[in-house]
Amino acid sequence: MPGKSKKVEAQRRLFEAEARPHLDTLYSMALRLTRSPVDAEDLVQDTLVRAYRFYDRFEAGTNFKAWLLRIQMNSFVNRYRRTSRERQVFDGPMATPVGEGVMSRATMRGLTDPVGDAERQLIAQEIRRAFDELSDEARAMVMLADVEELSYKEIAEVVGCPIGTVMSRLHRARKQLQVSLQAHAVQLGIIEEDDGDVADPIPLEAFRARKEAKS
Amino acid sequence: MTCKLVRRHLGAFIDGELDPASQIEFERHLEACPVCQEHLAFERSFRQQAREAIIDVHAPEHLWSRTLHRFDEIDATRAERTLIEARPMRWRQTWPIAAAAAAVLIIGSVMGLPESTAYQGAGMLQDVVNLHSQALPSDVRAEAPQDVVRYFQGKTPFPVKPARFAEPGMKFVGARYIKVGAHPAAALYYNHQGRRVTLLVFQSPDMVRNAHRTHVGGRELFYYNVGGNVVTIRQHGGVNYAFFGDLDRPVLFQLAASARVAY
Repeated sequence: MPGKSKKVEAQRRLFEAEARPHLDTLYSMALRLTRSPVDAEDLVQDTLVRAYRFYDRFEAGTNFKAWLLRIQMNSFVNRYRRTSRERQVFDGPMATPVGEGVMSRATMRGLTDPVGDAERQLIAQEIRRAFDELSDEARAMVMLADVEELSYKEIAEVVGCPIGTVMSRLHRARKQLQVSLQAHAVQLGIIEEDDGDVADPIPLEAFRARKEAKS
Repeated sequence: MTCKLVRRHLGAFIDGELDPASQIEFERHLEACPVCQEHLAFERSFRQQAREAIIDVHAPEHLWSRTLHRFDEIDATRAERTLIEARPMRWRQTWPIAAAAAAVLIIGSVMGLPESTAYQGAGMLQDVVNLHSQALPSDVRAEAPQDVVRYFQGKTPFPVKPARFAEPGMKFVGARYIKVGAHPAAALYYNHQGRRVTLLVFQSPDMVRNAHRTHVGGRELFYYNVGGNVVTIRQHGGVNYAFFGDLDRPVLFQLAASARVAY
């Protein structure tokens, strides 16, 4: 490249070395967000081009992966412009109420230890389906926390909300995933039908008595 | 510590996101409560299963090379920008000659990009005059208009096509990437019956704020008087087209009004 300065070249090498290891992360995140391989590629490329343009704004020493994911999240939001409506559905009065005792103990046991590979694969397939049915934001939450294993603080930075909000959104997203999975798993006969043995919180008295007995 | 509270925040407990005091309280409760233990086992297992189900996506091979290609384009733009920015003094030296010799015609439109107040329209007008008198060589020749379009892709934040003119005396010569003030711009060079005309294309708000206004052939034109000559500005479709030529005012106005800047 004629006239390409040393500074530009050095910056380029540094960026490539830092960004390349995160390509799979960006792509899988993009694929889960857009649900389309073509859109996912475009989104990742946009993200990297933007990150490269604004590389001088990246604060050295902070989490580069989280920075890239934040750019990608913003690009996604800007491109699809659906989040404000979805957020209302997700956090607002329309939000599906998810309680604590939604799952029976039998269901929990069935899902905790799937018997055999076939059942495992069936459940995995059902998880993917349930995951794809989540809202964009809920999918992002589960991805960032359970797949990318970012801290709440990092997720807050990526998504652009307070840490407390991360906690409640993540909780809700996981519960939605479980509820959706349960409904289908019962239908498919992977797990037994809910027998009404809902895992109620045990009474405080009983708990105290047991605690006392232990000590 | 109730079971309800523990189960509500079981996710945060597993994530290790509780404060240390709560973490210890949770552990104590879980030790003593078999039902919550079941919930814990389920949450852990579910998380693992979800992770395994969702993960395992690899980026396609070509994605990285495709992205590197875009980086090349950015690098090229950066390198050119550095070259142009390194020479402001030489432009300034030519200013008196330019002011005496040149009429400036800017045809263009303005997009709402923010601009620092430090660089006002007057500075940009001077740049326009200077850029014309400097007569920098073309980077891309006039033979194939699609080459011009391709040349500016990735360099300017807007697509650039050479403006067309009904007047047969107006010939397109060539083009290059340049800057007007802080704005990336396309310089398109024309020849009008033996006289050089420069067309600068750039985005800038406020460019017409203090300009005079007139109508020629049904087109709204803005203009500035500069050193006995004139800068004319036309706004259209989100991009600035800037002309600079050693021509009389009525001729420039006519060219500005009749230019087909978008087609």
